[in-house]
Amino acid sequence: MTEPTDFELLELATPYALHAVSDDERAAIDRQLAAAPASVAEAFREEVRAVRETMTTVSAATAAEPPAHLRAAVLAAVHPDTVLRFRWRTALLAAAAAIVVGLAAFGLGITLRPSPTPTMAEQVMAAPDVRTVSGQLAGGTATVLFSHDRNAAVLVMNNVPPPSQGTVYQMWLIGDKGPTSAGTMDTAAVAPSTTDTLTNLGNSTALAFTVEPGNGSPQPTGKILAKLSLT
Amino acid sequence: MTTAVAESLSYWSMTGPRHTSDLDALLHRVARRDADAFAALYDHTRARVYGLVTRVLRDSGYSEETTQEVYLEVWRTADAYDSAKGSALSWLMTMAHRRAVDRVRAEQAASQRESRYGAATVDPALDVVAESALAADERRRVVECLDGLTDTQRQCIEMAYYGGLTYTEVSQRLSANLSTIKSRMRDALRGLRNCLGVP
Repeated sequence: MTEPTDFELLELATPYALHAVSDDERAAIDRQLAAAPASVAEAFREEVRAVRETMTTVSAATAAEPPAHLRAAVLAAVHPDTVLRFRWRTALLAAAAAIVVGLAAFGLGITLRPSPTPTMAEQVMAAPDVRTVSGQLAGGTATVLFSHDRNAAVLVMNNVPPPSQGTVYQMWLIGDKGPTSAGTMDTAAVAPSTTDTLTNLGNSTALAFTVEPGNGSPQPTGKILAKLSLT
Repeated sequence: MTTAVAESLSYWSMTGPRHTSDLDALLHRVARRDADAFAALYDHTRARVYGLVTRVLRDSGYSEETTQEVYLEVWRTADAYDSAKGSALSWLMTMAHRRAVDRVRAEQAASQRESRYGAATVDPALDVVAESALAADERRRVVECLDGLTDTQRQCIEMAYYGGLTYTEVSQRLSANLSTIKSRMRDALRGLRNCLGVP
């Protein structure tokens, strides 16, 4: 086969930009571009750029929301310790209760360290019965990945504004005996993207959110901002 | 509860050229290993990326895996993005399309296409997004421009860009010669570019 002319090379710019060439042909085009006159290579690159910008605009026509659980998977993959961040008081208290006895005698502060064994979040995500539910919360999004097998859930909140000063968000696990507090979250605990773990789902059928005064309430007093089904 | 409202907000926020520089800034932060910027980038672009990948792969399991791979590649290679060479969204969508096409071809090579891709005429998932007026407007504009192409031009784009075929394979399927197919592709893209006013 003879070497293609510059014209023939430029004719391939559109298929090349659309990924409509084979791997071999792509490699051959790259070699020819490297050897081509600068003006030809420049014209080729400009054509490729324009085709890709055009198809990027066209992608508005195919936009479709991915399932909510994909977000946690994508973010966890690049920032695995986001799922190790414990922000909820219940998580803190549970962890503190387990280690405070051992540490207090040494006058050490309470430190939460990532465990070398799979975290509860990782166990939930790997559970065969893992399910995802998502809802709007105060203008942001709350997504819960839960597993009744693991008796646990991972909560991911995005763009949920912090509660106003002097109040907290309180979570409630709702079961056949009514709501049970599943922890509170104060202003400092709410970040633009917050990830946390909940345990002891029991036979709860829903997770609800309210705003409560002070450090939280024994039973919900505020209106329910969001209620996510755990069934 | 439904996520429609929150999702339509994020869909809205990624449309429109005025957000181009926002994505540029986010990508530069991602290159510096900023996880919050990465999360924001995902939220601004996920519907575009997942939608295109799904359109090519037509399988939700493959599409989720491929979408994850795309964003991992973004995380790994964000420092290679050069705003002088194109927009941030174009950089991302090119990567998404390349991975989707690679996946389709790998599945084809494994002779799984017939079973996994039997429903190749299924309509794209238009029912998923609760669209804002702006997003619906942009979609309508694109559909109008696609409608402005000739049937043979549209068929070429369909087979090559969404079907993952090479231009050689397209020419074989259509029993047309190679230069005809290359011309159709080029004319289709020029028509779309003019119609959409892409710089």
